[in-house]
Amino acid sequence: MRIGTGRATGHHGELLQGVFEGSDGRLHRGLMTLPMAREDSVATFWPRPDGTISTRPENRTKAARAAKLALTHLGLAQAGGDLTIENSIPVGHGYGSSTADVVAAIRAVADAAGTTLRSDTICRLASEAEGASDAIAYEDQTVLFAQREGRAIEHLGGELPPLIVIGIRALCAPIDTLALPRARYSTFEIEMFRALRGAARRAVLYQDPRLLGKLASCSALISQRHLPKPQFHEFVQLAEAHGACGVQVSHSGTLVGALFDATQRGLEAEILPFMDALQETGRRKITAFAVNAELDFLS
Amino acid sequence: MKHAANFLAAYEMPRPVQLRRNLFAAFFPLMKLLPARFMLDRAVDEGLLKQGGHIIETTSGTLGLALAMLSAIRGYKLNLVSADSLIDDVMLRRLTSLGATVNIVGDPGKTGAQIERVNALQEMRRQMPTAFWPHQYDNPHNRQAYGRLTEWILDRFGQVDCLIGCVGSGGSLCGTGGFLREMFPQLTMIAVDTHRSSLFGHVPGPRLLRGMGNSIRPANLWQNMIDEVHWVGALPAFAATRQLYRDHAVYAGPTSGAAALVAGWYAQTNPEKKTLVILPDEGHRYQATVYDDHWLALQQGWPLPVPSGPETLERIEPRGEEAWTRLAWCRGSTEDT
Repeated sequence: MRIGTGRATGHHGELLQGVFEGSDGRLHRGLMTLPMAREDSVATFWPRPDGTISTRPENRTKAARAAKLALTHLGLAQAGGDLTIENSIPVGHGYGSSTADVVAAIRAVADAAGTTLRSDTICRLASEAEGASDAIAYEDQTVLFAQREGRAIEHLGGELPPLIVIGIRALCAPIDTLALPRARYSTFEIEMFRALRGAARRAVLYQDPRLLGKLASCSALISQRHLPKPQFHEFVQLAEAHGACGVQVSHSGTLVGALFDATQRGLEAEILPFMDALQETGRRKITAFAVNAELDFLS
Repeated sequence: MKHAANFLAAYEMPRPVQLRRNLFAAFFPLMKLLPARFMLDRAVDEGLLKQGGHIIETTSGTLGLALAMLSAIRGYKLNLVSADSLIDDVMLRRLTSLGATVNIVGDPGKTGAQIERVNALQEMRRQMPTAFWPHQYDNPHNRQAYGRLTEWILDRFGQVDCLIGCVGSGGSLCGTGGFLREMFPQLTMIAVDTHRSSLFGHVPGPRLLRGMGNSIRPANLWQNMIDEVHWVGALPAFAATRQLYRDHAVYAGPTSGAAALVAGWYAQTNPEKKTLVILPDEGHRYQATVYDDHWLALQQGWPLPVPSGPETLERIEPRGEEAWTRLAWCRGSTEDT
């Protein structure tokens, strides 16, 4: 083995989250992640022959467990090593900081073993290490992902449509993802998720940010019934007034984001006043990033 | 729930048809399979329907056929109540060939014998207290079944501006429209009814056009979702059904003809609106009637050319079987008007 490195990005919550019928005909909890490439976790793995894993910073137990699972998967169960993690993703708001560590650790171990793993494998190992994870290992590929099972329900077959996301943290305390009670969806909501899945397929197939925005808004509204975010409706109104094509939330975090069609002409003239208006409502921290888009005015 | 690889799961879905530049149709072979399957699945989930259990329902139409098909495949016993004025020999043989028992009540007045049928059903419920009654008119699962159609619509056509469909139980139109409105609150919904149906305030009476309209007002019809109501008489529906076959090779029943008539007019007068119309069944049941020129020639008022547009009404007002009327409903209710 050699010294290996791995990287994984954060995310800004979900575009869609609910329950979805799998190929087995049963319902599975699932989500579509909104990746945020500007923040990331970088892991470096220094192999040692003694079988134990140590981390720096100390006590990154999920990442250590993930490294061990990756070694076992690669047939190197007796190996160990030192895992260093440098992570710029804020913790506890729903940016997927801990999953990014886990995915980066698995990739670093694979790199140390001179190989790369499939996204499906990384997600399965990540979910085993963490209990629940997100679809960040798929990067810009759109996947309907069963977060508690660590596997894809459906590959939607492409990258997300071009979007600009302007996000804030809702004014509430950080959330422990695994401690949250699971949402009990009504029959209507379950069937609505079925319909939204159809819209998601088309939005990806035809790279349609506006249809994606509408389905994300719908999913966010359902989420609001189960895990309400303060001032959500005020945010939606403000976003719509500034030409957003939808809103999204982190279903187990505090994030709320406005989605803009990155192909729209004169978008800057909509987004900058929107960010100013958000500032006026007293938000200190505004996150702005692009997904599958070529725009430079945000930097 | 486990229907992903099932033959009837494919059968319950429509085929897409483009009728105009801005008009698309969901053309079902047998739409009622969708709510029938969904109501049975939910009943199984809720413990109301056991393996080998008993199902009872009052229907003479395609819901009965759908229940009979599902019962045959899944091993349920099925008792249907109908009236001699509503059921034809071909349908009766299809149902009994699938193993269903059909109880037929007499209906000399040809009004549909709604009360007699309900009485017969209630008597059956007393005799078989554990039997499952889908109760399609009031069961919310009838509406909720149309999430699967909405998925199909969104996947194929994306955002639609207007949804048009016939109303009998209200399930397909209010169900599909309810899901679509969650995403597109501005969606226009147009209900297609027929004269002397009580759904939108006519006094119920004999109707030549079956399979849509109703003598009662089901709970699954949410009037306050509807933007516009059309009442299509049997004759323009028959003419439109034949035209639909002649122009598009869509071999559909007369309720589909009525819906296509309204949808064609709406799409033409609103060329900027992407319109979707639900066509609920195929024409095989109507081979000896709507598709038979001799039978048509015997109908009073026939021949009748396909009308180019409806007469716009100011208030609720029934007309003859030759008429096609419309009323701006504005998401109101019978009580408002």
